[in-house]
Amino acid sequence: MRSFIKKDILMFWRDRKELITVLVLPVLLVFILNFAFAGLFNHDKKSTIDLQLAVVNQDKEAEALEQLNKKLMNEASLEEQEATALVEQAQHIQPVPLLFDFLENKDIKNLVTVHRLKEAEAVDKIKEGDLDAILIIPDGFTAESLYAAFVGKTPTVKLQYKLEQQTNNSSALNNIIQGFMYQLNYQFAIQTIAGAKEVEVTLPEGGFEEIGTGETFTMSQYFTITMGALFALFMVATAATKTGIEIRQQVFNRILLTNSHPMQFFIGKMVSTICLVFLQIIFVIIVSNLILNIFPDRSMTFWIGIAAMAVLFSFAMSGLAAVFTAIILRMNNIDASNGIFMLVILLFGIIGGNFVPIQMLPDWLQQIGEWTPNGLYLVMFTDWIQFEELSSLAKPSMLLIGFVILSTMAGLALFPKRGITK
Amino acid sequence: MLEAIHLSKNFKGKKAVQDVNLYLGHGESVGLIGPNGAGKSTTISMISSLIKPTSGEIKLNGVNTITKPGEIRKILGVVPQELALYQELSAYENLHFFGSIYKMQGKELKDSIEQALEIVGLTDRQKDLVKTFSGGMKRRVNIAAALLHRPEILILDEPTVGIDPQSRNHILETVRMLNEKEGTTILYTSHYMEEVEQLCDRLYIMDHGEIIAAGTKAELLSILSTEDTFKLELSKLDGNFIERVRAIEGIRKVEAFQLQMKIIAKKGSNLISELVHLADQQHIQIINFQTETPSLEDVFLHLTGRTLRD
Ligand SMILES: Nc1ncnc2c1ncn2[C@@H]1O[C@H](COP(=O)(O)OP(=O)(O)OP(=O)(O)O)[C@@H](O)[C@H]1O
Ligand SMILES: [Mg+2]
Repeated sequence: MRSFIKKDILMFWRDRKELITVLVLPVLLVFILNFAFAGLFNHDKKSTIDLQLAVVNQDKEAEALEQLNKKLMNEASLEEQEATALVEQAQHIQPVPLLFDFLENKDIKNLVTVHRLKEAEAVDKIKEGDLDAILIIPDGFTAESLYAAFVGKTPTVKLQYKLEQQTNNSSALNNIIQGFMYQLNYQFAIQTIAGAKEVEVTLPEGGFEEIGTGETFTMSQYFTITMGALFALFMVATAATKTGIEIRQQVFNRILLTNSHPMQFFIGKMVSTICLVFLQIIFVIIVSNLILNIFPDRSMTFWIGIAAMAVLFSFAMSGLAAVFTAIILRMNNIDASNGIFMLVILLFGIIGGNFVPIQMLPDWLQQIGEWTPNGLYLVMFTDWIQFEELSSLAKPSMLLIGFVILSTMAGLALFPKRGITK
Repeated sequence: MLEAIHLSKNFKGKKAVQDVNLYLGHGESVGLIGPNGAGKSTTISMISSLIKPTSGEIKLNGVNTITKPGEIRKILGVVPQELALYQELSAYENLHFFGSIYKMQGKELKDSIEQALEIVGLTDRQKDLVKTFSGGMKRRVNIAAALLHRPEILILDEPTVGIDPQSRNHILETVRMLNEKEGTTILYTSHYMEEVEQLCDRLYIMDHGEIIAAGTKAELLSILSTEDTFKLELSKLDGNFIERVRAIEGIRKVEAFQLQMKIIAKKGSNLISELVHLADQQHIQIINFQTETPSLEDVFLHLTGRTLRD
C-alpha cells in the first residue's frame, strides 16, 4: 500500500507542469483577482447586496415611558423618585427611531432598503418574493430595552429577524442587525455602570467591518478559498487521468500481474489524493496569506480549524477521486472520461460558488450548490473566518463526511472487480 | 508445464485468436512468430491471465489458470509489447515500485533491482527518468521490470521492435543467458524470423489467429525439404541449354535471367554431375554454383504465400 501512495505522490511531484498548475496558478489567480476586484469590493460592495427588508413596528412607543416606570417600580423595586429620575433620562433615548436611523444611515442604506409595513402585509410580500426579510420590533421593545439597560440585564423582548431563506447574503445582514442590537445593549450597559447622568447613545457604524462580533469576510479570503478548492478539483481529475495513463501504459496490467489486489491500487489513489489535496490547499492558503496577509492576527485556534477543514475537504476530494478512478477504469477511454470529469468540475465549481459568489446564482442553484463538497467547504470556511464557532461547522462537516462515505461507496461499486476486462 | 488448449478469443465478434494449442516445457525456449495482427499479443495476454479467453483452457501443471490466476502470476514474468513503465519515474524508482508490490523489501528488493539492472546493462543509468531514455534503453527497463521476482517463465512480446541493433543484440543475449544459465522457460514473440531462429528450440507460426505450423527448426524446415534449389552463373546462356536442363529427370522448375539460372529439383536427384556434363558439351563454363538451403522465412512464405513483413 505504501508503495502505491509513494508512487502516486512521486509521480505528481515529477509532473512539474501539473505541480505549477495546482500550486502557483491558484496563488497567482488569488493575487490577480484580488487586485482586479479590490476596487469593486471597496467601493461597490454595498451594491452587491440589496436586501429588501420589511420593518414591522409593533411597539407602542407612546406608552413606553409609562411601561418603564411601572417596571422599574414593580420589578426592580425602586422608589418612585428613583424611577422617575431614570424615566426622565430615558426620554432622551428612543431605541426604535435609533434603529431606523441606523438602518437608513448612508452605509447600511446601500445594502438594505427598508419598508415600513404591517406584519400581515410584510408576510404577503415575502411570499410573493418582493421582500427578503422581516424585522419585527415587538410590543414593549422600547420599555424592555431601556429597563434592561438600566438594571444591567439582557432584555427579554428582542427584535425578531425573519428570513425568507438562509443564504450567505442574508446572514451577512443578520450580522449587521445582531451587531446593532448588541451594540445598543452594550452602550446602555456601559453608560449605566458608569453612572452617567446624560445617556448618549452612539450608533454603531455601518458596513461589514465594524459591525458585529464576527470578523470580516473579505474578497481575498474568498478567492483564496475558492481558487484552492477549484484547483483541488482539477487535481482530482488529473489524478484520475493518471490512472487512465496507467492503463494505456500497461502498468496497470503489470500491477495486476504482481497479484496485488486492485483494491490496493484504489485505496492508494484515495490516500495519495488526500495528501496531495491537503498540501495544495494549505500551500495556497499559506502563500496567499504571506503575500496578501489575508488572515492578519488570527489565533492558533483559527489556524487549527483551517487545517481541520482542509483535512475534511481532502477526504471529500479523495471520495471524488475514487469515483473518477472507477469511471476511467470502466470506460477505458481517457478522453471521454476526462470530458466527464471537466463537466463535473465545472458544475461543482459554478454551483459551489468557486467561480462567482454563490449569491449571484438563482436561489434554487444556491441550494443545490450547498450540497457540493466545495460548496460545503466554502460555507464552513466563511463561517469559521467570521465567527470561529465550532457549532456552525457541525452541519456542513457532517454533510462533507456523508459525501466522503457516499462517494467512496460509489467508487467501490463502480470499481471493476477483476481489474480491467477488455 | 504450461499449456494452452483450443484457445480462442473474439473481440466483438471479430476472431483474433482461433483454436490455438501451445505448449511450454520446463526450461524450453519457444518462439511465437507471425505477421502484424496475427494474434500473438492476444494469445500472450490470455496466457498471462490478463484477458479471458472466449473459449479454451490454460493449464499450469494441470491447474486451470483462468479461474485461479494467482499461481501463474507468481511464476510469470511478462515483457509486454508496449512499455509498461512510469515515464516520470527513474529506472530505479520503477523497479522499486514493481518490486515492492511483488512484496519484496529491504535487502532482497535492493539485490533483485541491482541484479535486474545488471542483466539489462543499465546500472549506471538507473537514476535517470525513464522518459529521458532511448527507445532501446526503455525496452531494457521494461524487461528488467519483468525479471525482479525471478520468474520461472518469461514471456516476451516483441521486445526488439523499433530499436537499434546494439540494444537488440543486448536483449537477445539477455534472453539467451536467462534461458541457458538460469533455466528460465522462454516464450519469445517476434516477427523477425532470424531472432527466433537464433534463440528458440521450438517455434509456433501464427497467421490470422491460427497456428499454421509448429515444431523444431528442423521439423519446420523439412516442410520444404522435398526440394533442392541450385543457382548457377554461366559464361553464356541460350535457349537450347535451358531446354536440355529442363529435360533432365527430377528437375521441377527452371528460371533463367541473363547469365543466371535458378533450378528447383526433387530432393536427392543428384543432378550436379549431369549439369556439369551438359555444360561441358555445350562449351559453357560454370562460373559460380550454389545450393540454397531453405530458411524458415521460406517456410513461412510456403505456408502463407506471404512474407512475414510486407
Ligand atoms: N482490444 C481489442 N479490441 C478489438 N480488437 C483487438 C483488440 N486487441 C487486438 N485486437 C485485434 O485482434 C487481432 C490480433 O491482434 P494482436 O495484437 O494479438 O496481434 P499481434 O500478432 O500481436 O500483432 P503485432 O505484431 O502487430 O503486435 C488484430 O486484428 C487486432 O486488431
Ligand atoms: Mg503484438
